[in-house]
Formats: sequence, C-alpha cells, structure tokens
Amino acid sequence: MKMVVCVKQVPGTHDAKIDPETKRIVREGIKAVMNPFDTYAVEEAVKIKEKSGGEVIVMTMGPPRAETVLREAISVGADAGILLSGRAFGGSDTWATSYALAKAIEKIGGVDLVLCGKQAIDGDTAQVGPGIAAQLGWAQATYVMEIPESNNGVITTRRMHEDGWDLCEITLPAVLTVVKDINQPRVPTLKGRLAAQKLDIPVWSPEDIGADEELIGLNGSPTRVVKTNPPPPRGAETLVLNGSPSESAGTLVRELRRRGLL
Amino acid sequence: MIANTDEARTGYRNVWVVAEVLGGQIQKVTYELLGAARSLANDRACEVWCVVMGHGLDGQIEPLFHGGADVVLAVDEPRFAEFVDEDMASVLVRFVDTHKPEIVLCGATTRGRALIPRVAVAANCGLTADCTGLSIDPENGDLLQTRPAFGGNIMATIRCSNHRPQMATVRPRVMNALPADTGRTGRVIREQLLESEKSTLKKVVEIFQDTENAINLADARFIIAGGRGVKGPEGFQLLKRLAERVNGAVGASRAAVDSGWVPYNHQVGQTGQTVQAMVYVACGISGQIQHLVGMQSCDYIIAIDKDPDTPLMQLADVAIVGDLFEVLPEIVREIPRT
Amino acid sequence: MQHHIENRIYHVEVLPPKQDSEKLEADLERFTNKFNRVMDSGYCCCITDNAMGNLAFQGTEMIEELELEPKPGLVMIHLNTFHTKDDLDRILESCKEMKIEQLLVISGDGSDRLPKLTPADVGATDVESVTSVELLRYIRREYPGVFELGVAFNPYEPEEHEFAKMERKIDAGASFIITQPVIDNHPVVDKLLEKYPDIPVAVEAWMSKNIGLLSEAVGYEVAEDPESFNPVETLKNLHRNYPRCGVYLSLLGFKKQYDRITGLWEQVQSEEVAS
Ligand SMILES: Cc1cc2nc3c(=O)[nH]c(=O)nc-3n(C[C@H](O)[C@H](O)[C@H](O)COP(=O)(O)OP(=O)(O)OC[C@H]3O[C@@H](n4cnc5c(N)ncnc54)[C@H](O)[C@@H]3O)c2cc1C
Ligand SMILES: Cc1cc2nc3c(=O)[nH]c(=O)nc-3n(C[C@H](O)[C@H](O)[C@H](O)COP(=O)(O)OP(=O)(O)OC[C@H]3O[C@@H](n4cnc5c(N)ncnc54)[C@H](O)[C@@H]3O)c2cc1C
Repeated sequence: MKMVVCVKQVPGTHDAKIDPETKRIVREGIKAVMNPFDTYAVEEAVKIKEKSGGEVIVMTMGPPRAETVLREAISVGADAGILLSGRAFGGSDTWATSYALAKAIEKIGGVDLVLCGKQAIDGDTAQVGPGIAAQLGWAQATYVMEIPESNNGVITTRRMHEDGWDLCEITLPAVLTVVKDINQPRVPTLKGRLAAQKLDIPVWSPEDIGADEELIGLNGSPTRVVKTNPPPPRGAETLVLNGSPSESAGTLVRELRRRGLL
Repeated sequence: MIANTDEARTGYRNVWVVAEVLGGQIQKVTYELLGAARSLANDRACEVWCVVMGHGLDGQIEPLFHGGADVVLAVDEPRFAEFVDEDMASVLVRFVDTHKPEIVLCGATTRGRALIPRVAVAANCGLTADCTGLSIDPENGDLLQTRPAFGGNIMATIRCSNHRPQMATVRPRVMNALPADTGRTGRVIREQLLESEKSTLKKVVEIFQDTENAINLADARFIIAGGRGVKGPEGFQLLKRLAERVNGAVGASRAAVDSGWVPYNHQVGQTGQTVQAMVYVACGISGQIQHLVGMQSCDYIIAIDKDPDTPLMQLADVAIVGDLFEVLPEIVREIPRT
Repeated sequence: MQHHIENRIYHVEVLPPKQDSEKLEADLERFTNKFNRVMDSGYCCCITDNAMGNLAFQGTEMIEELELEPKPGLVMIHLNTFHTKDDLDRILESCKEMKIEQLLVISGDGSDRLPKLTPADVGATDVESVTSVELLRYIRREYPGVFELGVAFNPYEPEEHEFAKMERKIDAGASFIITQPVIDNHPVVDKLLEKYPDIPVAVEAWMSKNIGLLSEAVGYEVAEDPESFNPVETLKNLHRNYPRCGVYLSLLGFKKQYDRITGLWEQVQSEEVAS
C-alpha cells in the first residue's frame, strides 16, 4: 500500500507563556512543532506498513524550516518526505492548501491512501482532509478512531461521531483524517533521528506539481482574514457567591440558565 | 464560484442552512442556524432555505418553518439513513449550482465538518470554520465571519468577497434558536438523489449509537474539573455526577492526577490538555499558571473553593466560596435530569 | 546517596537534547562534553527524563549511542511515568546492563506526545493513574536489589498532602530524596529532615540567574528578588544551612559557573569548622 501522510508545522502550545498583564498566551518565540494530530496519522500509516507492507511518504506545505517535521516523521518510520515550498504557496487558505496537496499526491502517483490529522491546532478548521478528497474525487472518512482492516483495495474505518460511531468499508484510494483515540504514537529514538537527518528531502515548487497559479496561495484562496483581534476580554467582574451552599447553587444555576448555558 | 463583480454577486441569493439529521431526527443545531440565518436574511432582504438530507423525514418539515425557514429543500432517501458524505456532497453541489444561494451555513459537527468542505471545494468557494459571529457588512453586503483560531487565542474576521456562495460552519449552541412560531409556513421542494450521484465507494456496515458516550475532554462543552481539594477518587464521583447531568466531561489538575485519583488523560494544563469548553467548573483547584494556560480560553469559568483569594477565584466569572462537598450536591439538585 | 554526601559529590543535572532540536549535532556534542566533564570531576551526572514535558532523548540511549562511559555510582537516571511499558523495561534493562544504579523515580511532566503508563502496565490495581509510588513498587518488584531508588519532594506544594505522599513513596521503597530548589533554606525542608532523619536528602540549588523561571519549575509563585539573587552565594548558604545534605545543581552554567563551584563545598565546610 502506498500511503501519503500530510503533516503541518504549527506553533507548539507546549512552552506557551502567559502574559501577566493580559493573562493571554504569548505567542512570540514559540517553537514550531508537528501538529499533534498529525503524529497519530504518521503512526497509523507506519503501523499499516508494518502489518501489511508498503511505503509511507510524508508531505508538508510550508516554509523551508517545515522540513523538520518531515524528519521527525521519518525518524519514527516514514520512508520519505516531500516539502512543498515556494513563495507562491504563501497565504493559502484551506481551499488552496488542499488543491496544492492534491496536485502533489497526483504527481507522486499510485497513492492508495492519504492520512491527515483531524485538524491543525492553529488554523483549527479540519477542512483540509476532506478538501483533498474532494480535489481528487476520492472517498473519505473523517474522525477515524480505528482501522480494523485494510486489504484488497478496501479499508474498514471506524468513524467517531458525537453520538457514537459507524463502521464503513471504503474502496481505495481514499483520504482519512484520524483522531487521537486511534493509537499511541511512538517517540523518536536518537538512532532513528540520526538516520532521518541523513535523508534527502526534495522540495517541490508550484511548477513541479503542475499547479495552476490562480489556484494556489493567496490567489487561490477564497477566504481572506481581514482582521484579527484578541478574544473579547473576560468579564472583569467576578460574581462572588458566599452564601449558603444551596443559595450559591441556586444563584449559579439561574445565572447559567439566563445565559443560555444550560 | 468566482464572483468578483457586483453583477456576478447579485446572481446569488438567499441564506441556506444545511440541516443536521441524526437517526432520522433533525438536531437542535439546525434550529440555532435557522435563527442566525433569519437575521442575516432580514439584512439581505431574502429568504431562508433549509436543506434536509435524511430518511424518514415525515413530520419534521413543518417545525423547520416554525423555526424560521421559508423554503425546505428535502431529500428523503433510504441511503441517507447513513452518513454517506460523498453522495450528500454531490447532491448539495448540484443544489448550489442550480439555486445559487448567497450564504450556506452548516453545523460544525463531525458530520458537518466532513460534508461541507467537500462541497466548498467542488463549488469553488470559501468556507469559514467554527464561526462564533456572523453579520452582514452594510457597505457591500459581504458576510463577515468571526471565528476563534489558535486554540481560542485570537479572533479572526474573515470574508470571501470574490466568491459565492459564502460558506460557514457554526458549532452547536453558539447561535440562538428562535421561539417556535407555529403560525409560520413555507414551501417544500422535494428532491432526489440521482443515480449518477450514488457512489459505490463507501458502504456503512454498522452503526453504533451511544449518547452516554464518555465525552472527549477536548470537545466537551461543559467541563467539571477537580483538584487537590477533591481529596480522593470518591470526591471525583461527585464531579462525575454533575458532569452526567450537564452532558459534560470530567477534568483534573495535575495535583489530582499525580495523586492517582484520575487518569492522566483528564489533566488540563501546560502538561495536559488545552480545553475550550463553554463552561468550566473548577472544584478545589487553586489555579496555578500551569493549570490556567490549559483552560483560560473557556467561555464561562466557575470556581468553587474554600479560599476566596486563589488565582482561579480571581479569574472566574463566578466564584463560589464554600466547601465543594456541600456545594456540588446542591448544584446537582438544582439541575433536573434530562 | 549517603556515599555522595559523605564524599561531597555534587549531583549535576544535565538535560539531553530536545527532540525538536534544529541543531542536533551541536547539542549532542554539548551533552557529551558536559557528561564527560561531570565524570572527570568525580561528580554524579543526573540525566532528566522529558523535563517539563518537553520531548527529549532518553539518558540511556544517549549514553549508548554516543558511547559514553558512565563511572560506577556516578550516573543517575531520572525516570517518570510517561513511557510505554516496553520503553520502561528497555530503559531499566539498559540501566542494569550499564550498572547505573541510581534512579530518581518521579511522576513527571506529560505532554500530548508522550505515552503514559497505565495501572495495568505496572500491576497496580488500586489507582486510576500511575504515579511515582506505583512505579517505585514495580521497579522494586521486577528488579529486587538492583537499584537505589530516590524520589522528589516539593516544599512549595501544600504541606500536608506532600508529606502524605512522601510517606507512600518511602513505603514503596524510596531510599533517598531530592528536593525542589531551595533558596537559602525552607522551613518545610527542615521538617522533612526532622521527619526522616535516616534517609539521605539532597537539596536542590537553583544555579540559574533567572529566578523567575523557578516559579515555573516548582509550579507555585516563589517570591524572590531577581536583582539580588546570586546563585553561588545561595549555594554556599545551602551548604551552611544543610550540612547533612547532599546538593543537586540544576541549570548549572558549564562555561563560567562550573569552575566557581569546584571545591566550594570543601571550602564552606572548613570555614564552618574554623568558626
Ligand atoms: C486566524 C486564521 C483563521 C483561518 N480561518 C480559515 C477559515 O475559516 N477557512 C479557511 O479556508 N482557511 C482559514 N485559514 C487558513 C488555514 O489556516 C490554512 O489554510 C491552513 O493552511 C490549513 O488549514 P488548517 O490549519 O485549519 O488545517 P486543518 O484543515 O485543520 O488540517 C487538517 C489536516 O490537514 C493536513 N494539513 C493541513 N495543512 C497542511 C499543510 N500545510 N501541509 C500538509 N498537511 C496539511 C494535516 O494533516 C492536518 O492535520 C485561517 C488562518 C488563520 C491564520
Ligand atoms: C512543569 C510543570 C508542569 C505542570 N503542568 C500542570 C498541568 O498541566 N496542569 C495542572 O493542573 N498543573 C500543572 N502543574 C502543577 C501546578 O503548578 C500546580 O501544582 C497544580 O495545578 C495544583 O493543583 P491544585 O490546584 O489542584 O492544587 P492546590 O494548589 O493544592 O489547590 C487546591 C485548592 O483546593 C481548595 N480546597 C481544599 N479543600 C476544599 C474543599 N473541601 N472545598 C473547596 N475547596 C477546597 C484549596 O483552598 C486550594 O485552593 C505543573 C507544574 C510544573 C512544575
């Protein structure tokens, strides 16, 4: 099975600091990491490879330094990496991102399965996975929590929903997005990491993937972020309840109802 | 589609809501979206349409009119008893092509988020995820879409000026449904899934419904979190009881996890999970910075602590001074079982 | 540990490179240099385990891959609960093979990327989550007599709870204690020493000038004046105030500070004797 895993480099939330004045997370100087959800996609692809053979290619669209997330994936078992990079890709929204990734998948050729994370923790849209499937005209399964079987061009997936799950048999090729429940990603070893260091990672430009200039980057992005603001400040006033337990509980529940939160 | 002139844009009209149908039932989020759509339609002086794709929809169309729809576009199709996103997307793309809506709203649920990006790609239009605010720009009639990104740390305003329709998803419980107006009626258009739209790529072989499903902390709308003040695993039973009442999840501070009272995957904070619930109830958690970074973007924060001066009691929207073992049962008592 | 205290052997904390390092080769070289320097000084090199939940390489694999030579009794491996069972066993086997005897067993800092031991992994039946206590029991059971197991003590946590936890850790087999950083002295550490007179304790000295970071490391606001904080002076005070304790140096500066602490312990001791 030939698999492509799409991974995104995102700002890590891990060493986030809080600004003591604004009580908001300071984003400056935060390291870039692999989107946490994508580590599950990589692990799942490597597990499928280990079980039934095949090849795992990891791909990211981003600036040159996004290469590190590819090496990270290679150090835990992916076979090769591809970096889509070039100024013209800049400013892509999910439409343009899924177009570029789909074009690259076509260029790789013979791909049976594409795996994505459930969503990226920065853009937070969860739109790129189904977007790739639509661009390619392939079947899709989102929020996949288990892949009980994959053989003979059919893959069985357990999709998570708010109200339970369903099991689908999907004819390949297909695009899956995975949730955390699917596996426990392995942590890279130093040995694996040193080996990954040595691998050459090709950089593909828009021309390399035969992308229409009008459909990538800002040009190809219907959405425009016109303004960003800090979230509305938290109501400065704290409602302090220090009556009897039943009084406090009563007031709280009334307040929740009033705000439509119950 | 590209619509970069006024003339092209005027070809698109009406606000659409894609209904969320589960097990043949139209879900609440649909009515919330109808509420939002109604107010946008008033600004644009146009109609609200509701697209319903499901099976066994009898009796469920009327209430959509009561909730604000003017037109219901219904596909009652056995195949749609299951969630076959590829086919549903094909149908929707055809509807969009035919009827040219100006705005399309869909629930930001697991199903909505799977379905609508497929439609947006095929229809070559922009899609804004998880909007918390929708309004019309009075200058040019564009839809202004506000959404949180970076885990709630910024709010972005997004527009799609040169493409139509403008598509957006909205999470459940963000918008308000209108009070049902039983006097309202509307027009029903019955449509079908075409043979050519039936894909053979996906076969749903089993469905498991479990609304009691333990809710994922990261997706929970309501989180009841406990800290060292909860004093032991028995105390967490109390939190669980409240969580069950409000259909929420149980969270914990590291002190509680490190004491062995709760599994690590419930830990909220710098070295645990970052959560963004609508309501976060912190019980016996002092609120050290490592905890706060994981929950401070929750919308409404309630703290219960004996000590009124902890950082969390200062930060909270509601601070209940008291013994959590006395306060929690009272809160549970106030909330009727559903 | 008692041997380290009697022979004035510092515990020097060394962090393995982070997984996301963009200059791994340089980081590996730095680690090698630090490790060798600590060995040459006859100090004990304490290697952290994904400190602060930041993904880093494991101490044991660092030593193996870089072919470092741990001196007997002079390497301490930190071991937390954020591992798979396989990884845990592999680390313990490596330690045994390399004759690394001292383990600091801690609950540790997690992250999205780290696995977590489950109660079933370590044969625990009475808890929801694996803490240092369960891990201690597991190591004691699986490797009887192989390791000297230590635990951490945080004087900034609510006292009653921390002491109750210490009791369980001692019960589970801990035979030495390392505290969180202490500035000059701490009344709760005094109590600890009083309560466990027979257990060797090392107090941690905060060697970074950045005292602000300390609050981040211990999880509670520590009020210290950033202007007047002087790590080396503070270290001296620790020797004076806790003559029976070992000392664990965190964030020691290898460029300038290292030379200034060489022989410091002896010096303070002889000054004390003289006065
Ligand atoms: C504040 C802000 C708000 C935004 N809002 C919107 C919006 O509402 N609509 C919109 O269309 N765009 C939006 N964008 C743009 C969007 O973030 C980018 O298009 C981004 O490239 C992909 O979207 P995402 O981060 O949401 O990824 P998601 O769709 O959440 O990612 C899902 C999966 O797709 C794969 N993937 C995503 N990006 C890449 C990549 N670059 N390389 C390889 N694999 C990848 C990964 O497997 C990932 O787990 C917004 C950007 C910002 C900064
Ligand atoms: C590197 C690092 C990473 C960390 N990561 C995290 C993290 O991810 N998440 C996290 O939570 N912490 C984290 N911490 C720990 C954090 O610093 C705090 O130690 C921890 O959050 C304290 O937990 P707590 O609030 O439950 O306990 P405490 O601070 O002890 O607070 C308990 C509270 O309960 C109240 N109380 C007691 N009894 C009652 C009662 N009967 N009724 C009502 N109130 C009562 C007390 O007044 C007190 O305010 C981290 C620390 C470090 C150093």
